[in-house]
Amino acid sequence: MMCPDMEATLNEYVDSTLAVLQREAVDEHLAQCTGCRDALAELRRLVAGARQLPPSITPPRDFWPVIGRRIGQRATWNLQRVWWRGALAAAAVLVIALGLYRLLPPSTAHYRPAGEWAGWAAVQADFDRASDDLSHIFAAERGRLRPETVAVLERNLAVIDVAIGESRAALAREPANAELRRFFAAAARQKVELLRWVTRTGES
Amino acid sequence: MMRTKGWLAFGLALLARQAPAQARIDERWPLDPAGSVRIVNPVGTIRVRGWDADSLAVSARLERQAGGGRFYAAGDAHVRKLGIDGAVGTGADIEVRVPRGATVWVKSATASIQVEGVDGTLDLSSQGGSIHVLGTPQDVTAETMDGSVEVAGGTARARVKTVSGDILLRGASQDLGASTLSGRIVVRAAGWQRGGTGVQRGKFESVTGDIRFEGELGRSGVVEVESQSGTIEVRVPASTVADFDVLTIGGTITNTLGASQPRRRSASAGQELRFSTGGGGAQVTVRNFKGAIVLGPK
Repeated sequence: MMCPDMEATLNEYVDSTLAVLQREAVDEHLAQCTGCRDALAELRRLVAGARQLPPSITPPRDFWPVIGRRIGQRATWNLQRVWWRGALAAAAVLVIALGLYRLLPPSTAHYRPAGEWAGWAAVQADFDRASDDLSHIFAAERGRLRPETVAVLERNLAVIDVAIGESRAALAREPANAELRRFFAAAARQKVELLRWVTRTGES
Repeated sequence: MMRTKGWLAFGLALLARQAPAQARIDERWPLDPAGSVRIVNPVGTIRVRGWDADSLAVSARLERQAGGGRFYAAGDAHVRKLGIDGAVGTGADIEVRVPRGATVWVKSATASIQVEGVDGTLDLSSQGGSIHVLGTPQDVTAETMDGSVEVAGGTARARVKTVSGDILLRGASQDLGASTLSGRIVVRAAGWQRGGTGVQRGKFESVTGDIRFEGELGRSGVVEVESQSGTIEVRVPASTVADFDVLTIGGTITNTLGASQPRRRSASAGQELRFSTGGGGAQVTVRNFKGAIVLGPK
């Protein structure tokens, strides 16, 4: 298990932004600490993995449940917790963005046959799951946030929920209207982005 | 008399104990003309100035209180990081001078961020502080939750995001993106008369915040403006050559840019307006769920 005060330092170590003396001190510590060595190896794997990622990724349909299960498991150490929280936010944005993008019309056509939109309900369900999970993170993190920040987030979450509700109601009346889907997509993305602030703010 | 002196001494000692001591830092290091600088200051102010020197100079003032923050700096001539570590009661004021071409990364909690005269890439992030950029940076990314953002001058590319803070983009920029939930977006784009080319690519979106685009479009430029319920106002020179595609579901469209008037959508609720002021020009797309859309001459 990594030493609790080494998380930031190890990140800096991997980024090569430590001063020479600090780097030497970390080298000495690593020589004696198995937990930190493991954490360092994990960090390097993450960085190497990130470098090998393609420019864009299309997640499989069952991507979200896997992420959700992993998030549900209690993290055993700080780095995992922070990483998975960030991963959750990133995954949520990815799921929403790619799911919605896939289902939006590529042209300016305002209507498409209803059959083409079979995946739309699934995308909305994905959004609801992502939104719920991120909301749980917000509930868990709110004690660590400044009261002013919580107030801003709550006020704007209320605003965005109204917007999403309006788009949904309009979509219920005209399910094949591509423009309404665009509005729903934009509002959904704004909500996920807003909840992402929570994870980023909590990390800092 | 002795008793009075005693009280006086006690009072002075108390004052001295309560008045926070100020720490002043002045440091300078060599830095490559295209080096990177990372600055962190949670509370107070951060000022970054570009200068014509291959070095980085920092001047900081912070309150030295029990449990307060401490200044740190590390790195080499390629990458230098500096900032305030830990909690700071009343905050710290940091002024950093960097080579003009440097890449600058700044992060704060409530500290305001001001950057001036830096031509490199800027990545600025704050939770609640305002962000001001003046100059011609190559690339700007600015995010703040409830602070305001102003980018003035000209950038090749700018991406600005707030939750409730207002956004003002003015000058001769080519590729602009601004997104807010409840803040207001104002874009004043300069054309060739002021050294710019007009906006070549612009995307501006809000949920409830108003959006106002005022200025020149680049030839073949593509501008998209979208809101859920904020008022959208687009004002361009009357001589602008562009295709306009405007739609609202529950709002209204007012056009004084030409004779074309909005019509009810045939198969759905709302109004739409499509018209062109000439071929081969810019493309303007405006979408508003239930807010008003106003098109007019600048």
